[in-house]
Amino acid sequence: MIAPDWFREDRLPHIYCTGCGNGTVINCTLAAVEEMGWKRNETAFVSGIGCSSRAPGYILTDSLHTTHGRALAFATGVKMAKPDLNVVVFTGDGDLAAIGGNHFIHACRRNVDMTVVCMNNQIYGMTGGQGSPTTPLGAFSTTTPYGASEPAFDLAELAVAAGANYVARWTSYHVKELTKAVVTGMQAPGLAFIEVRTQCPTNYGRHNKLRRVPDMIEYLRSHAMLVDKYNRLTAEGKPVPDGIFTVGELVRRSRPAMGVKR
Amino acid sequence: MKLVIDESRCKGCNLCVLVCPYGIFGEGTELNSRGIVSPVLDRPERCTNCRLQALYGRMLCGVCQMICPDQAISWTDEKPFEPHRVEVEF
Repeated sequence: MIAPDWFREDRLPHIYCTGCGNGTVINCTLAAVEEMGWKRNETAFVSGIGCSSRAPGYILTDSLHTTHGRALAFATGVKMAKPDLNVVVFTGDGDLAAIGGNHFIHACRRNVDMTVVCMNNQIYGMTGGQGSPTTPLGAFSTTTPYGASEPAFDLAELAVAAGANYVARWTSYHVKELTKAVVTGMQAPGLAFIEVRTQCPTNYGRHNKLRRVPDMIEYLRSHAMLVDKYNRLTAEGKPVPDGIFTVGELVRRSRPAMGVKR
Repeated sequence: MKLVIDESRCKGCNLCVLVCPYGIFGEGTELNSRGIVSPVLDRPERCTNCRLQALYGRMLCGVCQMICPDQAISWTDEKPFEPHRVEVEF
């Protein structure tokens, strides 16, 4: 296991289903924390409600398991009260985009100095597979039995528009790139938002002919396109295949940040 | 170093089978005591991390450990090989 002194080994194995991508994201984030050399008593993990938000329970530091959607609001409070703490927020798509969307755009606007890792599994996994704001168009879920008819939220683009300092998107297949992106996000002052597309074979894959875990990973891998290639294709006016999402570093800038360590 | 799968944590998702560049992991066939089909190792001494981790002093490759959602894959130290005399009886 990676970063063994950051895991709460007595709590393992965790409750995630077979092949859930959230465990991979915890691995990558803890590898990034270890690379940053943060001390355990100056790091705090904050999470809301959902599958992804169980993650800080398996990490051996101070953590806040807060109300649904309000992880960023709590994290802003932690950062304002103690600017010396390194704050990492684990959140899911239902937590961040649906109920906490308002807190999300305002945390990006204020540019609070923290790292937000969003495990976007495109479904409400814990409550039984209801369609979330990021369920792709035409995907099946228990609340969209004829295929989702609404366009999905692009969380990374939303963070870019709202003013986050560092925005990247990777999938749980791209582990090395994801670790590098989290490290860069932790080094950057201001809000760093890393969206991770994860697989949910139990509740998303089961309804969408991706029941086996490798099928779901293969789906993520084949539908990811590097942002440079996407920009080149659109600049040349060439067609972009359907269902493609961009991966890579979407923005890095230095807007004035709030709560930066003195 | 020796590559080991922690059977008490593995949930049998076979992601390591998908990512290993050497094809060391293979899909298992037998249920273990927890009712899970965990992957089997095919000549794990071919793994670059097993051979060269001590020489380089850092993690090499390690993609299976990174992607394992259940933190089940690790490398443990093993005793160095000691040559010993074999007596053949006729």
